[in-house]
Amino acid sequence: MPGVNNVTENGDCYHCIATVRRRITSIMESMIQSSCLTCDFRPDRLFCDMPAESLKSFDEIKSLTSYPRSTVLFAEGRPVRGIYILCDGRAKLSICSDTGKRLTLRIAGPGEVLGMGAALSNTPYEITAELLDNSQVVFVRRKDLMKFLREHRHVCMEVVRMLSQDLHGAYERVRTIGMIRTRRPRMIFRSHALLV
Amino acid sequence: MLTPYGLDIIESCLACKMRAERIFCDLPPAALQSFENVKYATSYPKGAVLFVEGQTPRGIFVLCKGRVKLSICSTDGKTLILKIAEPGEVLGLSATVSGKPYELTAETVDPCQVNFVKREDFLRFLKEHSDACLRVAEQLSEKYNTACREIRSLGLSHSAGEKLAKLLLEWSAKNGEAAKTEPRLKLALTHEEIAQMIGTSRETVTRLFADLKRRQIVQAKGSTLLIRNKAALKALAITP
Repeated sequence: MPGVNNVTENGDCYHCIATVRRRITSIMESMIQSSCLTCDFRPDRLFCDMPAESLKSFDEIKSLTSYPRSTVLFAEGRPVRGIYILCDGRAKLSICSDTGKRLTLRIAGPGEVLGMGAALSNTPYEITAELLDNSQVVFVRRKDLMKFLREHRHVCMEVVRMLSQDLHGAYERVRTIGMIRTRRPRMIFRSHALLV
Repeated sequence: MLTPYGLDIIESCLACKMRAERIFCDLPPAALQSFENVKYATSYPKGAVLFVEGQTPRGIFVLCKGRVKLSICSTDGKTLILKIAEPGEVLGLSATVSGKPYELTAETVDPCQVNFVKREDFLRFLKEHSDACLRVAEQLSEKYNTACREIRSLGLSHSAGEKLAKLLLEWSAKNGEAAKTEPRLKLALTHEEIAQMIGTSRETVTRLFADLKRRQIVQAKGSTLLIRNKAALKALAITP
């Protein structure tokens, strides 16, 4: 960027914008704490907003990691290891055909739990999750998760609600894909569906 | 004893012999007893509609006997069959839990025994029994799995032939005939219904079946279908 390189004086507007941006990013980063107990985003998030004692034991079983963008958190068909919770950043959820064609289901945002269905039923992951941004991700092992859910009833209820929502989304998708039959709309659908 | 629709109704879940094999029903005794208190055992004839897409959820339906067709509908009246539910499955679960309208239509294929639980009762039951809650979560994730598979086959398949081949292979694998070189399967659905399962027209399905028979890949004996050339069918299912 030539504009930035030419800056010599403080107070130049390019310089300012860059500094402010850096400041904001660092503030945002510091807001995402390594401990769930002090996380500021928690009240807004469906899964994270749990009672204090549940939160404490959840904090003990989770591990927080930063991943660069385009990391694949888990791939379709792989044995399940556990669940991932996006603290910040977005992830692309997609499914794949035998011939390697890919269909994007949706983009998951911060606060979403990924891989929950597979973890509960102990079946291979049914989708692929790939990070779109540099993200902080919480990982919980399946074994620890099951124990945690058995002990904390409220969270279990929340999980059931979350899964129903996922299912609703999936049925909605089946409807949009399955109902288009004639050739011409099919082409339109293809460009929408981000077939890679 | 005279029973409606020739069904052998199991009134009490406590006395049910099938319970151990079913994901949802295999509850610990305490939970089972309180489930027993809130459920209503009902029976339906063939072709009865349990609930309709878009309806406000009344509660859940546990399928004890018989099969139920689950379908979704477009605004212009086209139907797509998502799956045929087997005994042991819980229907209307996600809508009941989330309070959103039912997202599917459930219609019985055979005479069915169905245990109905009202929404308020069911939510209370879930709050009190965390084991049941986990079972429900498991059922939901299984349904999610099916939905994902449906999206994959609908969204990523090229032709109707490919989808039909996949469907036939899937059915032949289900009846424990997968290991045989010439698996046999019972066609319980009409061509119209098969068309609705793979998102195509009845005419196309009839044409595809005729084509498969002409090429000696399948052979029909009444409503039983014999897959004579499994390798060729598999090749049809994965052609890019």
